[in-house]
Amino acid sequence: MAIVAGLAFIWWLAAAATGPEAYSTFLAVATSWFGYLVGIGLTWAFFQHMANGIRHFVMDVGAGFELKTNKLGAMIVMVVPLLITLMIWATILAKLARGAN
Amino acid sequence: MGSGTGLGRVRGLGSARHGSMHWWRQRVTAAGNLFLASWFVVSLLRLPSFEHAAIVGWIASPLVAVALILLTISVFYHLRLGLQVIVEDYVHEEAGKVFFVLLLNFYAVAGAALAIFSILKIAFGGVAA
Repeated sequence: MAIVAGLAFIWWLAAAATGPEAYSTFLAVATSWFGYLVGIGLTWAFFQHMANGIRHFVMDVGAGFELKTNKLGAMIVMVVPLLITLMIWATILAKLARGAN
Repeated sequence: MGSGTGLGRVRGLGSARHGSMHWWRQRVTAAGNLFLASWFVVSLLRLPSFEHAAIVGWIASPLVAVALILLTISVFYHLRLGLQVIVEDYVHEEAGKVFFVLLLNFYAVAGAALAIFSILKIAFGGVAA
């Protein structure tokens, strides 16, 4: 994520700053099947990282170490990122299908 | 363990005593990322289109441009700290360790510089929408 998402973020900004042609190259790659695969994977990895990070914050202050609470937290961290990824890509694909792009 | 002798520290043995600052900055940037990246994802989803004109018009507004720059700094600092720990944990040869941390520093600084320059160029009207 630090490498692939970082490079994609830089490419997106640099392409937008370069001009419409460079940006359409970026968009063409991003909306190819490979682009979707990487995009969906990164979305999931990102929210997995974020959820684990929030769990770390909670545990850093010494909370949630009881066995049941701890296990519940671990389950939430596994399930919620999948749901968020699903919701985000349903939104994006619906938007693209409507021809908004 | 122990703090070692002065000579030992000169030879690179023992702690550099930067550990707790590394740990703390990792959490400071994590908190920054949490707010800024959430804003970023929600904002992208709320954009009417992902076309060039829409993206450039969005980035050009001051509040968006500044938030994007802060996001870039926080994210690239955070990933630099995180990947440094991976290198330190898994690259055992001293030369390789130095090489990869150096490479990581170059990547993080160059990547952030390119991203920030691009945001500023758009924000200062250097790109025809």
